[in-house]
Amino acid sequence: MSRYSWNIFLTTAVALLMIPLAIACGGDDSDEPFRIGVMESATGPGETYGTVAIQAKQMAVEEINAAGGINGRMIELIVEDSKCSAQDAITAYNKLTDVDGVKIILGTSCSGAMLGAAPLAEKDGVVMFSGLATNPDIAEAGDYIFRTSLNDAQLGVDTGNLLWADGIRKLATISESTDYAEGVRRTTVEQFEKRGGEIVGEERYASDATDFRTSLTKLLNANPDALHVAAQSEFTGGTIVKQVRELGYDGPIYSEIVPIGTTALEIAGDAATGLKAVITDIDPANEKGQEVLGNFREKYGYVTLPWYLGSAYDDVYITAECLKETNDDQDADGLRDCLYEITWSGAIGDNYSFDERGEVVGLTNVVVEVLPLSERNEDNNGYQVLGPAPSG
Amino acid sequence: MSHLAQAIRELGDSGPLRRMPRANLERIATVLVLGWAVGFMLWQGAGFTITLTTIFAIWAILAVSLNLVVGFTGLLSVGHIGFFGIGAYTMAILASDASYDRLRTESIPTPDWPFFAALPVCIAIAGLVALGVGVVFNRFRDDIFVLVSFGFAIIAFSFFLNLRELTRGAFGIHEIPRPAFGSWVLDGEIEFLIFALICLALVVLICWLIVTSSFGRVLTAIREDEEAIAVFGYRVTHFKLAVWVLSAMMAGLAGALLASWTSFIDPNSFILLESMLLIAIVILGGLATIWGSLLGAMAFVLLEEGMRFLPFLPPEFVGQARQVVLGVLLVLLMLFRPQGLVGRYKL
Repeated sequence: MSRYSWNIFLTTAVALLMIPLAIACGGDDSDEPFRIGVMESATGPGETYGTVAIQAKQMAVEEINAAGGINGRMIELIVEDSKCSAQDAITAYNKLTDVDGVKIILGTSCSGAMLGAAPLAEKDGVVMFSGLATNPDIAEAGDYIFRTSLNDAQLGVDTGNLLWADGIRKLATISESTDYAEGVRRTTVEQFEKRGGEIVGEERYASDATDFRTSLTKLLNANPDALHVAAQSEFTGGTIVKQVRELGYDGPIYSEIVPIGTTALEIAGDAATGLKAVITDIDPANEKGQEVLGNFREKYGYVTLPWYLGSAYDDVYITAECLKETNDDQDADGLRDCLYEITWSGAIGDNYSFDERGEVVGLTNVVVEVLPLSERNEDNNGYQVLGPAPSG
Repeated sequence: MSHLAQAIRELGDSGPLRRMPRANLERIATVLVLGWAVGFMLWQGAGFTITLTTIFAIWAILAVSLNLVVGFTGLLSVGHIGFFGIGAYTMAILASDASYDRLRTESIPTPDWPFFAALPVCIAIAGLVALGVGVVFNRFRDDIFVLVSFGFAIIAFSFFLNLRELTRGAFGIHEIPRPAFGSWVLDGEIEFLIFALICLALVVLICWLIVTSSFGRVLTAIREDEEAIAVFGYRVTHFKLAVWVLSAMMAGLAGALLASWTSFIDPNSFILLESMLLIAIVILGGLATIWGSLLGAMAFVLLEEGMRFLPFLPPEFVGQARQVVLGVLLVLLMLFRPQGLVGRYKL
């Protein structure tokens, strides 16, 4: 046998050896579960909330399956890492749709990844349903794109109003250079300026930055009434709060949800005390929400970003409710129509629904304040709710 | 010819880039990667294979072009991702759908060019930037060259992220069109794949013509001993600049393909980590071999994407596990096969 023939023979042999492996890995599908894709940032800058979202969805599916499934059929989640990046989201999307054949995808946790995969989903008629992506552009992404997360545009308006209502007239901002954080900063500044406020300093940083002292010193030299922090990752959010206090700043700090996540508060320690944030939060009076948080803590030993956790959890139950009607995980059109019609009460609120753009309706932001270190515990997640965000 | 060949032969045995003995391992590596690719294709079916092959084609263009600089000329550049990004952003800025973008936050003015009108500009701008940068970089060698190319990658990323009036910064640019011949738009995945493979074939052909020409032999001689080749009267800086610019133009082409394929780009696709992965692909495949770069890109895509199918891990840990396994495999490869799968040289 010549060397050339030998190479061909070996290549074929390796290829054929892959087939039994494929069969072994393929699993048994005789019980025909409903197959739902999940795309979240298991790695990358959105890793903390991506992981929480995956775990919340897993927990919801386990509960549904333990209760007998949907119309007697179990739910199977197929999880892919979209890494908070458009390119990886496209690969993950193609894997889920081409290999696994799913027509329903729950995710993603990053707006950039969502915006990367959404045009494909719209073209293919695949439902993408996110509990975490907040970029305003997603509202225009298409007929098959839904979310339970609130649009950043509203968050910015609420934050701008809060700043003005608190007597802030000169504001300095520091934001992570990501679509989410930039979106929050931009809409906050727009509303704040519309009310008559003045921006005295703006700094941006890359996601891998670890030392913010230079930027913060520059901002503090402009003598602002308050500092606004918009972060994508809890590490940078917590570190900024810690470092600005170390620089001697004792004025008010405002933020969105990320700098008050559990990890961020651990990093910032007592420096975060008094920080005000405009967030979506689970109402302490919402029994379902508190039950979900309790179950999550029991199962995984921690809770962070509780509202996003609840949002991801609710997405599974809403999807399951619609699957009861359609009884077909390949019927994306049926699921889409059901989502437009449904009104839901779950972990993140009561009687919410979706408008004609797939945007959630019926949920509002609240203002929270971080508690002193001695008062933070697992039940209050380190902060207290001050009330609904000011409307004007 | 005889003087040059003699010099290369002598330097090849004792130079900093040591010639490695060709082993049976090369054949086994080739067979394994190709067999793995065919098996993966049979296993996962056509749809996902088309996606992976498109990713392979784009990474392979990058790897082959970078190998011209790193493998054949001996300039260890970690800034290649910058030219990749310049190509992608040029395509996005020139060709993205202006009517769509006006609806979006912080919209930018876009001339709405067709793909094939923008493509030559993408390649030309990547080349022009490389020319400007290369004139400065030509002063540096070895470790310092690595550092300045590192700086270039950082500057390019900062440019993409912070020049918001042109790039929309972190928001990225949407609705980048697919190639179109008149009314025939390559919006099918298979059509785009064929187009990407044609581009790859052209790049491979150009690289092959370069490395097998007298120009390529001078590049090899520069890699082995820059001063020695200068003694023979060759203008070393001109050769280095030429291959640097050519390589950047090919990276610009790859960037334009990526932008068109994904239809959305943001700065995250052009971070320094991607540059490191690219270097890893080139070394994984083997320095100074075009086939090695193709094989390296194929092995990398199969490794990274193949691990999506690890059946025994909890879903929330699959993402992290992929990165760990990939890192460990690359470390093991470098320990036991430092010249890469089919490489003839090691750094």
